[in-house]
This record gives sequence, structure tokens and C-alpha cells, in this order.
Amino acid sequence: MIKAAETSTDIEAIANSPLLWILAVAVLGVVLLQSAVYMSAVRKNAAGADMSQREVFQAFRAGGVAAIGPSLAVVLVAIALLPLFGTPPILVRIGLIGSAATETASASIAAGTMGANLGGDSYTQDVFVVALMAMSLSGACWMISTLILTPILSRGQAKLTKVNPMLMAIVPSAALLAAFAGLTVTELPKSVFHILAVLVSAVIMAICLWVARHLNQAWLREWALGFSIIGGLVAAYLATN
Amino acid sequence: MSSYTHEQEALFSAYTRTTNNWGRITLFAGFVIATSVPFIVLATTDANITVGQILTAFVAVAAVYGAFYVVEPVTYFPILGPAGMYQAFLIGNIANKLVPSAIVAQSAIGAKPGTRKAAYAATAAISGAAVVHVTSLLLLVGLLGTWIVSIMPQSVTEVARVYILPSILGGVLVQLIATLKQARSTVIAIGVALAVVLLVVPNTPEIVSSFAIALCVLLTVAIAWFTRTRDPAGEEHQGSLIN
Repeated sequence: MIKAAETSTDIEAIANSPLLWILAVAVLGVVLLQSAVYMSAVRKNAAGADMSQREVFQAFRAGGVAAIGPSLAVVLVAIALLPLFGTPPILVRIGLIGSAATETASASIAAGTMGANLGGDSYTQDVFVVALMAMSLSGACWMISTLILTPILSRGQAKLTKVNPMLMAIVPSAALLAAFAGLTVTELPKSVFHILAVLVSAVIMAICLWVARHLNQAWLREWALGFSIIGGLVAAYLATN
Repeated sequence: MSSYTHEQEALFSAYTRTTNNWGRITLFAGFVIATSVPFIVLATTDANITVGQILTAFVAVAAVYGAFYVVEPVTYFPILGPAGMYQAFLIGNIANKLVPSAIVAQSAIGAKPGTRKAAYAATAAISGAAVVHVTSLLLLVGLLGTWIVSIMPQSVTEVARVYILPSILGGVLVQLIATLKQARSTVIAIGVALAVVLLVVPNTPEIVSSFAIALCVLLTVAIAWFTRTRDPAGEEHQGSLIN
């Protein structure tokens, strides 16, 4: 069906050109630029929210520390997928914008339309290009949609807040709790090991927060998520291996 | 909100203006660069593919994720606010990295949910997370990735791939509940999530699962709203506009 025999399966050969490396670094640069601009906006206008410069730095550091665990996890997954997509496309797609789960699923669906699987003999350069194209166009839709919807939603929010200030006091926290409760419960039916990972992570967090409060260890609030993630993964590893 | 002085209002609107304008510019730049990648690969290789094949593949992917293009921004907007939207949808990894970072930061400086301070804290936290994110990618994936993949046992990467999400979510949910301290909304959210994910999704057509999280959010918000305690003094600042 597909001319797999006559096409190379060497993905690295076409996914590693210098131009792609420049683009990958450029995307990372855009993220850093955005963060720099946002941070200076917060610092310059901190007094507008009764926030001290010390608190601004504390929040920045807490966010960074909390991101260490999830970042290492993303790195591990991205590295595992390197042979499939090559380094620059991985940096652009899985490291940024998308997530490993979404992008892998997209690529696998796209490859399926050409009668191929990710990896293996059927995964030719042609299949790779089509998969990368489909992933990228799909990601583009997400960003365009965000660019269009955010201003519209902002206007709606401003109007609704004027009509009833209570709305903004209740809606965001309820939405946040609902989104994470929903995401967490979605993991439970997948396997008993998923349940184990959720429980171990939750218990470690509860212990860390209790210790942080009662023994006055503020730093633990920032590191708690990292410990929870490691605990969940170690439990899953021990249970499955 | 009336407790802010005139100067503070001016500072806050300057913050809003800067983050909105630069948010749009940087997200658009990210979109252009990221989308150009496959076209450059296509142009620089003698790949033997047709527009039809690309369209077929894209339609197949959009059939699965199409609903998310709209549902996700709408779902996260009340959580992230406009400034955070431009950060989150540029960086990705929203539920597993950025929102957790924001929650940790707010809890660390004791920013009361629903206040401007909480919004600022979230922006600063996401910026901090972004720096860690970019650094880890550049160093560990870009520079050392090929070497690490050669020494890492398969079983470790496999466990990380399969169990990372539940390992993050368990901790985040507990921290979220502890930070928000909203017993009623918490009970409603968990009850709704159990009902939607374990009862509604398995008994309805496949397409409903794409909307499961949005459905959780919608139902929880509606129930929380209609069962709210009508005592504005007590709950005025209890919301949690994270950003």
C-alpha cells in the first residue's frame, strides 16, 4: 500500500537541519521573552495589588521550584520520543505548546491514515512529514482559537462582573476544583497502578502540607509537588516491575 | 475592589495592557514559528506526499481534538484569566505544570484567592515555571538528550510516560483543596467529577468524553452558583482568579 520499501526510515536525517535548530531555539526564545515582559509588568505594577517586591520574587521562585518535577517528567518523555521525531521537532512540539500525550496521539492517528505505525519499518520519512504536518496544524488551531477567544471571553467577563460581582468570586475557584477533580478521576479507571500513583502522590502532598504548617517549614510548600510526583512514580515503578 | 486607590487602579490597568498586548504578540510569534517547522521539513526533503494525504491526516487528528480547540480555552479562561491564557497556550503543559505552579506560589505567599495579588502571583509563578521549563529542555533534551536516551533503562522511561499524569494530579488536587479552603465547592467538584467520569462518560457516545472536563466545570460552577450562601460579606473575596 505505502511505498515503505523504497523510502528511508531515517528520521534524524531530515529532522535535524540547522534551520530547524534555529527555529526550535527561536520558539524557546519567544517563551523567555514573554516571561521577561510579564515579570517586568508584575514588578513594575506590584504596588497596584498591595504586593511587595519580595513577594513577587517569592512567587517567581515558588513557581520555578514547583515546575522542576513536572519539567523532569516532560524531559524524560520527550527524550523517549526523540528517535521518532528528531530533536528540533520535539523541542517545538512536545516541549512547548503541546504535551507529550496529545502530540504522540496526534502523530499516531496521522500515521494511521497512511497505514503506518509510529516507529518500525512502516514509519518512513514520508509518514513522518505527514504526521508532523498534522500535529503542527492541529496545534496551530489551538493557538488561533486562543488568540480569537481570549479577547471575547475577557469582554464577557468584564460585563458579567459588572452585572454581578459575586460571579467572579465563585466561578474561578469552582472551575479550578472541577477541572482538576475531573482530570484526576479520569485517571482512576485506567488501572489499579494509576489509582496507586494518584493516592501515593495525594498522601505525600497531605503530609508535606501538614508538616509545612505545623512545623513551620515554608520551603516544603514549594518542594511538596516534586516529592509527590517522585513518590507516585516510584510507587508505580515498584508495583509494576 | 473599591479598596484600591486611584494610583493602584492605574498600575493594574498598565499591567493588564502590557500583558494583553505582549501576550498576543508572543503567542502569535510562537504560532508562526511552530507552524513553519513542518513546511520547512517538507520543502527541504524530497518527500513523496500529496496535499490529500496531509488533509486526511489532519482531519483524522481534528476529529479527535477539534472540540478541544474551543473547549480548552473556554474551560481554562476562568482559571487563568487573560494574561495567563497567552502564557499557557504558548507553553502548553497547562494542567501538569503551569496551573500547579501558580497554585503553589499563591499558597507560598499566602495570596488570598480572588485578589489581584493572586493574579500577579500566578503570572510570576508561570514565568518562573517557564524559565525552568526552557532551561530543562535546552540542556537535557536539546544538548544531552541523545546521550541520556542511550543510558536510561527502558523500564524507567516507560513508567514515567504512563504514570506521570496520575502522579502529578493526586498531589495537585490535595494542594488545591488545601489552598482554596472551599469545602462546599470541593465536595460539589468531586461529586460531579465522579458522576461525569464514572457514570456519564461510559454510558454515552464516544464524543462525550472529549467534553468530560468541560462538563465537570460547567456543572460544578452551576451548582456552586445556585447553592451559594447569599451573604456577600462572607464570600466576597473567596473566589480564585488565579491570574
